[in-house]
Amino acid sequence: MVALTINGYSYLVDAPPDTPLLWIIREELRLSGTKYGCGIGLCGSCTVHVNGEAVRSCMVQAGDVEGTSITTIEGLHYADNHPVQQAWIEMQVPQCGYCQSGQIMQAAALISANPSPSRDEIVEAMDGNLCRCATYSSIVGAVARAAEIAGSEA
Amino acid sequence: MSTTDTQLSRRDFMVRSMATGSGLALGIGFTHSVIPGAHAATATAEAFTPSIWFTMMPNGHTSIHVVKSEMGQHIGTALAQIVADELEVNWQDVTINYPEGSAENFAVYGLAYTVNSGSVTTEFDRLSRSGAAGRIALVEAGAALLGTNVEDAVAANSRVTDSVSGRSLSYSEILTQTTIERRFSYPDDFRGIPLKNRADYKIIGQSKPAHDIPSKTNGSARYGIDVHIPNMAYGALVLPRARYGAKALSVDDSQAQSIPGYIQAVTVDDSFGKCTGWVVAIAETFPAAMSAAQALEVEWDPGPHGDVSLEGLLEEYRALQADPEVGAPWVDQGDVDGSLANADELVESEYTTDMVVHATMEPLNATVHQVGDTWHVHTGTQSTSFARMTLTAYLAHFLGKPAEEIKVIVHQRVLGGGFGGKQDYDEILAAAYCSHQVARPVKLIQTRETTFATSFPRTPTLHKLRGSIQGGAFTAMQHDIVCGYMGPRFSVGKAYGSDWLQLDADDGSGRDIDQWSIGGSDHWYTLDNHRVRAINHDQTTWAVQASALRTVSNSYNYFVVESFLDEVAHRLGKDPLELRLSMLTGEGTSRGIPNAGYEPGTGSDYYMDRLWISLPWPSEDSWIPYESATVGGAKRLANVLRVAAGKAGYGKRMPKNHGMGIAVSAAEERQSPTWVAGVAEVAVDPESGEIDLQKLTIAMDMGIAINPVNAVAQIKGAALWGASQVLSERLTVKDGAFEQHNFDTYLPIRLSQVPEIDVEIVESGNHPSGVGEPSSTVVAPAVANAVFNAVGVRMRHMPITADAVKAALKAT
Repeated sequence: MVALTINGYSYLVDAPPDTPLLWIIREELRLSGTKYGCGIGLCGSCTVHVNGEAVRSCMVQAGDVEGTSITTIEGLHYADNHPVQQAWIEMQVPQCGYCQSGQIMQAAALISANPSPSRDEIVEAMDGNLCRCATYSSIVGAVARAAEIAGSEA
Repeated sequence: MSTTDTQLSRRDFMVRSMATGSGLALGIGFTHSVIPGAHAATATAEAFTPSIWFTMMPNGHTSIHVVKSEMGQHIGTALAQIVADELEVNWQDVTINYPEGSAENFAVYGLAYTVNSGSVTTEFDRLSRSGAAGRIALVEAGAALLGTNVEDAVAANSRVTDSVSGRSLSYSEILTQTTIERRFSYPDDFRGIPLKNRADYKIIGQSKPAHDIPSKTNGSARYGIDVHIPNMAYGALVLPRARYGAKALSVDDSQAQSIPGYIQAVTVDDSFGKCTGWVVAIAETFPAAMSAAQALEVEWDPGPHGDVSLEGLLEEYRALQADPEVGAPWVDQGDVDGSLANADELVESEYTTDMVVHATMEPLNATVHQVGDTWHVHTGTQSTSFARMTLTAYLAHFLGKPAEEIKVIVHQRVLGGGFGGKQDYDEILAAAYCSHQVARPVKLIQTRETTFATSFPRTPTLHKLRGSIQGGAFTAMQHDIVCGYMGPRFSVGKAYGSDWLQLDADDGSGRDIDQWSIGGSDHWYTLDNHRVRAINHDQTTWAVQASALRTVSNSYNYFVVESFLDEVAHRLGKDPLELRLSMLTGEGTSRGIPNAGYEPGTGSDYYMDRLWISLPWPSEDSWIPYESATVGGAKRLANVLRVAAGKAGYGKRMPKNHGMGIAVSAAEERQSPTWVAGVAEVAVDPESGEIDLQKLTIAMDMGIAINPVNAVAQIKGAALWGASQVLSERLTVKDGAFEQHNFDTYLPIRLSQVPEIDVEIVESGNHPSGVGEPSSTVVAPAVANAVFNAVGVRMRHMPITADAVKAALKAT
C-alpha cells in the first residue's frame, strides 16, 4: 500500500512501494497525460512536480514520495490555463504531442523558480526533455512567452 | 450537370440531406475494389456506399471526416481547411473526426494509409471539389428558397445571399427548410466542378490553430498507450537476441510464479512470419509484467540471421556491387559506358550510410480484446486498413477460420510520432494472440528497450559512384546502390493483391526494383548520360527488418548524390552553386509535366512510363494528381536554391574552419516532389573533429502552404531530423541484434544542439505538395559539403562523427 497526494487528492494505492511512480499515475490512477518514454530518466516525457520541483516519475519509487505533494499535467491548472499552457497553444508548439506534458511540466517548474529565464537558462533547463518531432525552436520561444504571461498575471 | 439516371451509379457523387432538418452528407462512390483481391480478407458488400468526406448538421456545424493518421503533422486541420474554403463555411463551425478502421469504412473511404508526405498532395483536389459540390448544392437549394436565380445567389460565411435583393439564408436555415438531393456524375461532372482561384481563398493559406493542439497541452489527448479496457491484463515482451527468425524452444516460468499478479507466459504463434521468437509475460499490472518478463527463462533457436553483423553485410554488399550481372537499372539514359570510357577524368567515390530508427517518443503498443465475434484493436497506426487486414489474416491463420468470418475493428488513436515507424503491426498480432490465450483484453506495452530491439530501421546502404569529366564538363554519372529492399518485407501486402516491387526492370529482364529503396537517386539534374543500378541484398531485408523511415530512400540517396555533385564541382574547379544551377535547367526528363491533368503520364514520358507506383493505392478512384506537383520541374529547384543561397549569404567570406554547404532535393517521390534547398553553416574543431552546426537555411516550394505556421514548424522539425541523422544517430547490428536499446546510446538531437534555422516558404501557387519530410533530405549533404568547405575533408559516411572527421583530417 502506498499513500499518495496527487493534484490535491489523496490516494491509497495497492502497489509495492518500489513501484515506479509513473506506472501508478498512469495505469492505476489513469492520469495518462504523464507519459512513459524511456524508463531511465533520459527523455523527460514522464516529468511531474514533487513539491513543485520537476522530477522524472519513472525514476521515483512511489514509497519515496509518500507525504509529498505531487502534481501531474492534469493538475497543473484548474482550467488548463497555466501560463505555459497558454503559451504552448499561442505558439502552436505540439506536433505529435507525446513529450509535451513533460515539456510543459518542466517549463512550469522553471518559470516558477526563475520568473524571467534567459535563453541559455531555458536551454539548460529543457535540455533533458527529448522531442522527436524536434519542436525545440518553438519550445524556447514558448517558455519565454510563458514567463511573460506569468509576469503579467502576477 | 446532374445525371438523368434515376438509379444512382456507384460512380455518382451524391450531395444529399436525407430529410428536412437532417444533416448534409457528401460522398464519392468508392467501392471495396480499391485493393484488388481484398474481397476475401474483408468480405465487403458489393452494394454502393457513398464515402463521406464531411457531414453538415442541421445547425450548420460541419464535421470533416479524416482518414489520415494524426502523428504530429496536424493533417486533420489542413484537410478541413481545404474542404471548408470551397464549402464557404464558417471556420469556427468546423470540427474534425476520425472514422475507425473497419471493413465497412474501408468500403466507404478506401485505403487509410498515412505515408510519403502525401496527404495534402493526394487529397487536395478531391476534397476541394467535395467542398465545392456541397456549396453548389446549398446555393441551388438556397436560391430556390429565396425565389431567386442560382446565378444571383452567392455563398459566404455559411450563408447563401441573393445578390439582387440582399436577402439571405444561413446553411442551417436551408437544411431545416428543404431537402437536398444533388448528383454529380463521377468522374465527368465531379472533375468539372470549378475550383476557386487562389486569390479567393479565405481559409487555405491562413494559419488556423490546429484542432489537435489543445488536447496535447493538458494531458487529455489519448494515445494508444493510454487505452484502458475493463478487466484488461498487461503484457511485456521477452525477446530472443536475433531481430528476426528466432524460435522459442522452451519457456520456464518457475521464477515468475512468485511475482504477485503474474498470470502466465505466452509463446506467440510466429508461424505467420511475424513476432518471431516472441514470448509475452502476462500480469495484472505492467510493472508485474516487466518483472515477470525478466524472470522468465526462455531458450531459443537463433534461426538463420543469428550471426548477422553490419561489417558482414557491408562485405557482401561490396561483392554484389563488384558483380556487373546483378541488380537492375532504375534510371538508364544516354551512353553512360561510352562516356565513362572516354572520360578525360573519372570521379570515383564510395559512400555508405548506417541504419537509423524512428524511435517515436511513444513506445510501440497495442490493446486488443474480443467481444463476441469482433476483435477490437486500440492503437495508433499509420494504416488502420493494413492493421485490420494483417490482423484478419493472422487470426484466420492461427484460429484456422476463413477470413470472411473474422471481424476486426481498429480504433485509431493519436500517434506519439510516426515517421514511418507505425506501419508494422507486430504488437497488434501479439496482443491479439495473448488475448485469445488468456481470454481477457490484453494491453501489450513495449518498453523502450524492446521497442528498439524490435524496430524496423532504415537499411544500411553502399553506393558506388563514377562520374565522367570530358572537355571540362560533367557528362556522365553511374550510381550503384546496394541495400536491403523494404518492399519484399511488406509482401504481406501480396495477400491483398498488392506488390511493392516493380517487377519489370528497364531492360525487360523481370528483375526487381524497389522504388522505396532506390528513389531519390533519380535526381532532377539535366545530365544526358545517367544510370542508377539498383541491387538488393535480400538477407538485410529480413535480418534487420528494413523499413521506411521519414523520406525513405531519399534520406540516403540525396546525401550521396548531393555530396558527389560537390565532389564533381571541386574537380571541375566550379562553384557547387554554379554547377547546380547550370544543370537545373528543367529540360528533357527534368521538365516536369505541365498541366497533365488527371491522366497518367503519356507512354512517351520517361518517368511516367517507367516509374509506375505499385502501391496498393486506389489509383483509379482517387486519381492522385501527382503530375500536377511536378509542374515546372527542375526550374523550381533552381529557384529555391537561389533563394536559400541568397538568404544564407552563400559565398561570403567565412572564418577559418568555418564553411557553408548547399544541397537540393525533390523528395518525396518523382511524382510528388516538394522542391527544397538547404544551406548549412558549420564550424569544425580541427583537433576533436567536432562539427558545430550553427545555422540552417531552408527554402521550400510546396506550391501552396495550406497552413503556413504549421508548414514552417514541419519544415523546421524535419530539418532537425536530418541534422540528427547526419550528426549523431546510428543503429548497428551484431550477432543478429541491434546494439542500441535506449537514449543512452541512441542519440536523437536535443535542444542544446539546435542550430538557428531560417525558413523561407516559396509559394509558386502550383498544386500543393507535402511538407512533413522533404526538408530533412537536404541537411545531411549540406552539412557534408559545409564540412568539406570548412576543413577540406570529404566525409562519405553517414552519420558524420567527430572521430571520423578527426581521422580524415589526420589522413590529409
